[in-house]
Amino acid sequence: MNVNPKIQSLFTNGILEIILVLLCVVLAVTASGFLTAENLLNVLRNVSMQGVIAFGMTMVIISGEIDLSVGSAVAFSACLTAFVTQKLSAEWASLPIMLAIAIAIVFALIIGFFLGVFTGFMRTRYQVPSFISTLALMTGLSGAAELITNGFPLTPFPGWYNFIGGGYIFGIPFPALLFLLTFIILQFLMNYTAFGRSVYAVGGNAEAARLSGINVSRVKMMVLGITAFLAALSGIMVSSEIMSGTATTAKGWELDVIAAVIIGGTSLMGGVGRIWGTMVGVVFLGVLMNGMTLLNVSEYWQHVVRGVIILVAVLLNLLQKERTRR
Amino acid sequence: MSIPAHSLQTRSLRKEYPGTVALDDVSVSFLGGKIHALIGKNGAGKSTLVKIIAGATQPTRGSILVDGLEVSLFSPRDALKRGIVAVHQELSLVPELTVAENILLGRLPKKNGLGNSVIDWRRVFARAEHILADLGIHLDVREKASTLGIAQQQVVEIAKAMSYDPSILILDEPTSALAQHETECLFDVLKRLKTRGVVLLYITHRLQELHEIADTVTVLRNGALVGTIGIDQATPAAIVQMMFGEVVQRSKPADLTVPREAFIEVRSLSRTGAFQDVNFTISKGEVLGIAGLLGSGRTELLRAMFGADPPDSGELIIAGQHVRPTSPEQMKELGVAMTPENRKDQGLVQILSTRINLCMSSFNRIASHGFLTRGREERLVEKNIRELDIKVNRTDAPVAFLSGGNQQKVVIGKWLNTNPRLVLLDEPTRGIDVQAKQQMFQIIWDMSKRGISCVVVSSELEELLDICHRILIMRAGRIVSDVRPSELSLENLFAACMEEEA
Repeated sequence: MNVNPKIQSLFTNGILEIILVLLCVVLAVTASGFLTAENLLNVLRNVSMQGVIAFGMTMVIISGEIDLSVGSAVAFSACLTAFVTQKLSAEWASLPIMLAIAIAIVFALIIGFFLGVFTGFMRTRYQVPSFISTLALMTGLSGAAELITNGFPLTPFPGWYNFIGGGYIFGIPFPALLFLLTFIILQFLMNYTAFGRSVYAVGGNAEAARLSGINVSRVKMMVLGITAFLAALSGIMVSSEIMSGTATTAKGWELDVIAAVIIGGTSLMGGVGRIWGTMVGVVFLGVLMNGMTLLNVSEYWQHVVRGVIILVAVLLNLLQKERTRR
Repeated sequence: MSIPAHSLQTRSLRKEYPGTVALDDVSVSFLGGKIHALIGKNGAGKSTLVKIIAGATQPTRGSILVDGLEVSLFSPRDALKRGIVAVHQELSLVPELTVAENILLGRLPKKNGLGNSVIDWRRVFARAEHILADLGIHLDVREKASTLGIAQQQVVEIAKAMSYDPSILILDEPTSALAQHETECLFDVLKRLKTRGVVLLYITHRLQELHEIADTVTVLRNGALVGTIGIDQATPAAIVQMMFGEVVQRSKPADLTVPREAFIEVRSLSRTGAFQDVNFTISKGEVLGIAGLLGSGRTELLRAMFGADPPDSGELIIAGQHVRPTSPEQMKELGVAMTPENRKDQGLVQILSTRINLCMSSFNRIASHGFLTRGREERLVEKNIRELDIKVNRTDAPVAFLSGGNQQKVVIGKWLNTNPRLVLLDEPTRGIDVQAKQQMFQIIWDMSKRGISCVVVSSELEELLDICHRILIMRAGRIVSDVRPSELSLENLFAACMEEEA
């Protein structure tokens, strides 16, 4: 068979992109209301809060680690932001609300970053697998969120705060812009910096990377730190969207996020993956959910379909790899 | 009564992979009671032939005859049933099990009772000890495999093969990780097996071993059989001719002289349990060899100098700076490089591309203002490929696809890109073919001419004599003498390494 090599490489490297386009075409025909600017922007908005974390998670998985704590970290960060705002603006001090919120946001982001660095430290200093330490954090942060909110949603936010999670700039949802911005920054970081290359090296073979003079500990602490930072950012977006700090939000997000990363072609074995792939994976899942909702597919079926998709995507990836190996 | 000799024959054995013919109608026969060396360059088809005989892969066509009868081998299990046992180059021990369990894996002696399912540990250890004793090897069978060095693991692999009482034994480069006395020990065992009529197929890269051990030499080239000759006809020239056609044997260039002033100094370096109070100096551009048996502390010394396993005490003096190595990152900044003994697992990231592997130690150097573009990487990589003569089709394909020799060149290229002062090479020629070895020597000499000092650790002592300006002999964690190759014969060097502690 004489297939144009360009077309062939498109099929082997861009199979997910092709399926995404096909899915969009099918939905455009079958689901009325799918192909409208409003709906598509809505899809983007819906995926953005999990999406920002997915880019970080991609780095973590490429580096050969995992972060199970991101769901709880979102809830914790949302609650922490609300908590600090409330304390600073009303109870401990009476700072202007805007200043209180600014301090709360910065505080939540810094705490988030250092929680990730801590996981990395436990991993590299004491060889605690990130699976275990982030499992511990997942439970711990969930409890901490309940503790600081006393089990009730905290609602210290003024109306304008809703902009971060629900506002628009030039008709584009603000969270979607944050999502795109995160994509651009991490895409750049992973592809055009020494740090990005090191992440691949560390995930592909940590010992070989160490013996190449790469500081493996620093790389792992940084990727876990960045991801936890992004989870905190996501938490702030969520608190703005629902205008409260609620401890029960974002339950189970870690699995949705990991699923998007895996669908995007990143290998759980480490060393392999692309930020762009995750972008496609995130949008793919978002479009699929949106389409099924428009088509009135029951929520139960949606879960089943998502499960099947994850399995098929990984299978496709492996088959593709096997073919290129021959 | 003499034991009837076994035999192994192949008829027009052919193996095709999409796009290539790995084995091209090979018909060859091997008689029992003899040791048959199988040689050829990387990619000559040795591994494919061995895999087919061991049942690990099936031929496209052709047949295999054992003792004159055609056999179908669909799996290694089928081959085992026919008494065909292969010891592969890659070690396959279960790290968390004991030596004895590894030797008898899947066939542990059982006790009566509870449906004959209880392991009889006393017999397990006794049998394993017996097998090892038969091989003349002293190892604690109760030790975990993970605590053994590579050579000892290789020995356990061979013991495991022997426990099947094979009629055809295939050894794929069994000595590549062994020190001289261990090799001799292995050869004794093989010679004993000859008297039992076992067909012994012996794959090796070490041509100097042939006369010690082989009875016939069979050469493959590009998947085809070149021929089989008796050992009496196997002169080095004849063998090299059969393997390569034409090749230039290099010898040390005459202009390889070294200024005799200390450039880098190692001062009372010690690491508990590995080496003690090591002192020496290296001149600029000097090629310094370290000879010693496995376990003499030579690899540990290199790793300590590189900061991979930091020393407990002592220091290096590099360019006037006194430093205690603590990490490879720190030593890299000081201009120290190391190509590790285990190239596959420690020298390279196999799943990443040749390009990224070549740039791996110098991402920060390649980047400008924090930017790292593919173009900048590619310029450097092209230079590496040209200077080191790396055979690679696509630099963005995984480095795992390259042959051993080319992989080693990538490891060296990676370090040349850091502009090093001192390169520590641990077994730089292990598992690579003759031609690639010669190229490796040339690369080391070229580095020397550029003023880069090299420290070479090698189990192949004749290699050290060939390439080094000076050789340090290590024994039991200490440097016991400092010699010049011209003052010393190979025999003397062996003897100096072997000598017992007084």
